[in-house]
Amino acid sequence: MPKAFLIDTTRCTACRGCQVACKEWKNLPAVPTKQTGTHQNPPDLNPFNLKLVRFSEHMVDNKVAWYFFPDQCRHCLEAPCKQASSVEGAIIQDAATGAVIYTEKTAQEDFDVIRGACPYDIPRQNPQTKQIVKCDMCIDRVKANLLPMCVKTCAMGAMNFGERADMLKLAAERLAVVKKTAPKARLLNPDDVAVIFLVADEPKKYHEFAVAEGPGAMTRKQVLAGAFAPFRRLARAMQG
Amino acid sequence: MQDSGQPAVEAQRILDEAARYADQTPALESLFAAFGPVLAERARLRAEAPGWRGELPTVDAERFSQGVFVLADSGFQDVSPELPAAAVRLLPVMERAFPALAEELAALGRALAEGGLEPELLTRAAFSEAPVSVPGVSRDTLRFAASELVKPFIERQARDIIGLVTELPWRRGMCPVCGGAPNFSLLRKVRDESEFIQAHGGQRLMHCSVCSSQWRCKRVSCPACGNENPEELFNLRVEGRPFERADICRACKTYVLCLDTVEFVDIPDADVAALAMLPLDLLVRKEGYAPLAGHPWSPGI
Repeated sequence: MPKAFLIDTTRCTACRGCQVACKEWKNLPAVPTKQTGTHQNPPDLNPFNLKLVRFSEHMVDNKVAWYFFPDQCRHCLEAPCKQASSVEGAIIQDAATGAVIYTEKTAQEDFDVIRGACPYDIPRQNPQTKQIVKCDMCIDRVKANLLPMCVKTCAMGAMNFGERADMLKLAAERLAVVKKTAPKARLLNPDDVAVIFLVADEPKKYHEFAVAEGPGAMTRKQVLAGAFAPFRRLARAMQG
Repeated sequence: MQDSGQPAVEAQRILDEAARYADQTPALESLFAAFGPVLAERARLRAEAPGWRGELPTVDAERFSQGVFVLADSGFQDVSPELPAAAVRLLPVMERAFPALAEELAALGRALAEGGLEPELLTRAAFSEAPVSVPGVSRDTLRFAASELVKPFIERQARDIIGLVTELPWRRGMCPVCGGAPNFSLLRKVRDESEFIQAHGGQRLMHCSVCSSQWRCKRVSCPACGNENPEELFNLRVEGRPFERADICRACKTYVLCLDTVEFVDIPDADVAALAMLPLDLLVRKEGYAPLAGHPWSPGI
């Protein structure tokens, strides 16, 4: 049965427990960082931070409003990165859970193409191994019937995980509640992704790539990615 | 376990869970191979069972709060008419699962089909209410088969009844529906809609050995004697199984198996999960403690 996340940003307090738990579970090393005038740390996703709580500040009614966005791979139902892949077995989708998994073979991919295919700008490349990396839905845990680490750790009920049908139901219920006080509240691409965000305001206020706009943007990327993949495969084959 | 209400879905989920547990505990593989199909067929029968017929019993909230379970006066409705058809489906599965009992189970099936055994007597055998004998069938096998046949139907009735009392206070160690003792318990996380920080622990639920109803029970307490002295309550685990434990009371020398599901994606079937805890069960018995109620695979029950 396909799984899904509901990330309810209205309950997120940006404690970053999910971000740290992800890094701990994956045993990822520390990375040099820098103070950029925000609590968002590190400044962006990188090969060793597959989950990142993004912070953004906006003036709303003459008050500073803080927006928190626990960013991660959306595990698209029809993943553009997978369609853009030109290496057999580099990007696979687990049939049971729907998780989109990057394997060691991603080291043979054209990183710019894979990253460019993602409407949410998620993939990153390990500079040493050249492998492309991102969240794998904690597939090792989920296959053992355990919640992904980010969900297990969340103390505010912002991170939720379960059967897709159950998450869609919970998302609709939460949206109805949030809309009472935040009329602009919406779910982000709920029909296209397995990681569904609930936001209370314009998605762009949370993060530039929070949402794949309309069906147009995503479809265009998918079409382009799919259309050029055979040529890239051919070119790669000719190069040996 | 999440109940889909669809026979095929429930049965398949049990088989999948049994396969997953068998992978985790190869020593128990043959037990899962035997009991998995039996539990799955029971789940099919349960999902198709008629449930409580007619008007649901009236619950006197005051009596209930004093500890009188719902079916204290009436018991379950008679399930005997359902048993011959159920036997045609379940007994062949049991014959394949337990080859050593195959001849006896076949003899029981024939006796039921040919009128040599009244279904009412089979029901009574399940509850050990009367000595029943069937030629070629030992008493233990008869009781085992009878309780497996009766169980899906009373479980289905209990599912209709438990809803009557879920909002009423009941913190006792016995089942609020039928008064049965728990043979399993679990910690289950409940979604909290408050705006405040949420605990990572879960509510403690007891699982009835008779009708499989589940009810809340105080975490630091013994369901058998009510002892709340933390000095006398402890738990045992086996290495490598961090989510499984036996909650033990030194005062009355009893225990109940407990599965911590707060980190789980899906809550497994209680019987499948309990079967996976058999090594723990044996360990605790060796330490001199007795279960409040057993399972068909429990030694000495």
